[in-house]
Amino acid sequence: MLLAASDGRPEVIVANSSTEDDKPKMKATAVDVYYGDTHAVKKVDLPIFVGDVTALIGPSGCGKSTLLRCFNRMNDSIAGCRVEGEITLEGRSIFDSEIDVVQLRARVGMVFQKPNPFPKSVYDNVAYGPRIHGIARKGPEMDAIVESSLERAGLWAEVKDRLQESGTALSGGQQQRLCIARAIAVDPEVILMDEPCSALDPIATAKIEELIYELRGRFAIAIVTHNMQQAARVSQWTAFFHLGELVEYGRTEDIFTNPVQERTRDYITGRYG
Amino acid sequence: MQARLASRHAAERRFRLYGLFAIGVAVATLGGLLFSIVGKGYTAFVQTEILLDVYFDAAAVGDLEGLGDDERTAALRRVDYAGLLRDSLRAQFPEVEGRSAVRALTALVSAGARTTLREELVTDPDLLARRVPLWLTADDEVDMLMKGQVARDLPESERRLSDAQLAWVDALAAEGRIRTVFNRTFLTAGDSREPELAGIWGALVGTVLTLAVTLAVSFPMGVLAAVYLEEFAPRNRWTDLIEVNINNLAAVPSIVFGLLGLAVFLNVLNLPRSAPLVGGLTLALMTLPTIIIAARSAILSVPPSIREAARGVGASPLQVVAHHVLPLALPGILTGAIIGMARALGETAPLLMIGMVAFIVDVPASLTDAATALPVQVFLWADSPERGFVEKVSGAILVLLTFLLLMNAGAIVMRQKFEKRW
Repeated sequence: MLLAASDGRPEVIVANSSTEDDKPKMKATAVDVYYGDTHAVKKVDLPIFVGDVTALIGPSGCGKSTLLRCFNRMNDSIAGCRVEGEITLEGRSIFDSEIDVVQLRARVGMVFQKPNPFPKSVYDNVAYGPRIHGIARKGPEMDAIVESSLERAGLWAEVKDRLQESGTALSGGQQQRLCIARAIAVDPEVILMDEPCSALDPIATAKIEELIYELRGRFAIAIVTHNMQQAARVSQWTAFFHLGELVEYGRTEDIFTNPVQERTRDYITGRYG
Repeated sequence: MQARLASRHAAERRFRLYGLFAIGVAVATLGGLLFSIVGKGYTAFVQTEILLDVYFDAAAVGDLEGLGDDERTAALRRVDYAGLLRDSLRAQFPEVEGRSAVRALTALVSAGARTTLREELVTDPDLLARRVPLWLTADDEVDMLMKGQVARDLPESERRLSDAQLAWVDALAAEGRIRTVFNRTFLTAGDSREPELAGIWGALVGTVLTLAVTLAVSFPMGVLAAVYLEEFAPRNRWTDLIEVNINNLAAVPSIVFGLLGLAVFLNVLNLPRSAPLVGGLTLALMTLPTIIIAARSAILSVPPSIREAARGVGASPLQVVAHHVLPLALPGILTGAIIGMARALGETAPLLMIGMVAFIVDVPASLTDAATALPVQVFLWADSPERGFVEKVSGAILVLLTFLLLMNAGAIVMRQKFEKRW
């Protein structure tokens, strides 16, 4: 469900409003997340579109990472975490009893804050997902998937001669691109990125940003970031969170140049955060 | 300020000295222990032998003509080898007369020498009617004398060997008819009432069989329990209770496990007494908590980011554990398992309760044969009155320690192999 160029979209989509003509890939509706007694995410509505990057920004503890992790149900395994509301993937609830969480995560991949390659070879890191999902067996078929995934992650040229070396022996930036290659190897529809550059130096960050920019054509990407310049650079849509609420959502250029809410303006201009 | 700095440095120097002192005490104790055991035990690995010209008297065997192979062998087995031995000794010392003197003379050679003669003749019947020089195992008293472990200058009434026997031994030695050789019997035989015929092999096989059962039962069970508790079980009052109980179980005295084994495996399940199967199961109960605790901490030390990464690409909980957590935790789990196994190896008390303390001559061939274990063998020999068993005790301890070292070395090799893969 690849959407046409974003030109046709309305200039500003304010929270709690939706458009009929643009069907988002994923959509959160009135999502509440509780950690025990803490109300971490409050009644949030958020669409994620294919072909675009949606940035989730906001000060620490505002619930943006928590919300992101709801999209592929990574919060399931956290004791005491409770999610209410509805999240859909292509119109179907991801909490549906017929949806297998394993399958969901194959369709909604994730890249984490700290690069976390498996302590296996570079090849096995990328091949792991396709292997467990039975997408490809050993041999040339798998080789092709590994190569194209690394290629798309912009890592192939750097690692093609060291595929059997441990993934943990790469540099931090390379590790993170390896994690991205691992995520796209199973050909997901959505990629969630949880502050993917916060542990990287500026050069590695630039490479990842470039990569996100290139990848957005094929996937729906949601990225949590602390870095507002990064959000401005890579995203087409921005959602600003504060204290668990979605304060403002709209096209990135509007959020950054002409925010509607005062809290958004204060955050973007650096009054707090 | 300056004075305070000086006192801080002095405190640090004192602290280091205490540490060095503690390590020194530990090393000295270990060294002293090893020195004492090796010093006492190495003689268990050598044995005194006496050279005798044995005449295989055809008259003692009787008529073998017209007998089939089996019948002939049976006839050869029936021969009075004690008589042959006695005659050979009397031929060596023709001056010895009288029943009691002859008995004292034959006592120089081990009772096992008869078996040696029989095997020689059965395997080679051509020896009949010939005089053959044979090295025969000496009695343990002679052995002790030659090894210098009994004093010659004690009054005769306090010695096990009489003056006459001493003189005969000296005469044999003067003729070069006494030698000391490597004690094959000690490493290949089962237990015996005669120290010179007693061996460690039966107990060693018993230990290997027992530990095999222990490992086969406690390792998979321990790992499964640990994986379930760490990765799958919900955190609630029940799992807390289980955790507390596992920790308590690890501290339960081993003899209690022996009682449990006696009550459950022998009395309820009617498994065979004294068997490595039961011993192994009992030790497995004892080892289980150790392995569970070690495996849990090893699993816990696997970084959560690896689990997240695996879950993130869609691995099922079982795949997360099997592909990522367990392989990474395996070195730690192996370390814990080997600590548990080493404890099981040295355990005596539970085995006493299930009857592995019996006097067992045969080397066990299966898990249900009666058997004993190395530490129990040490205990049994230490309890025996014969002087000859003293060195066997130390010898058995050396075998036990060697076994332990081999086991640990194997574990280290395995651990490094698994660590290298990652």
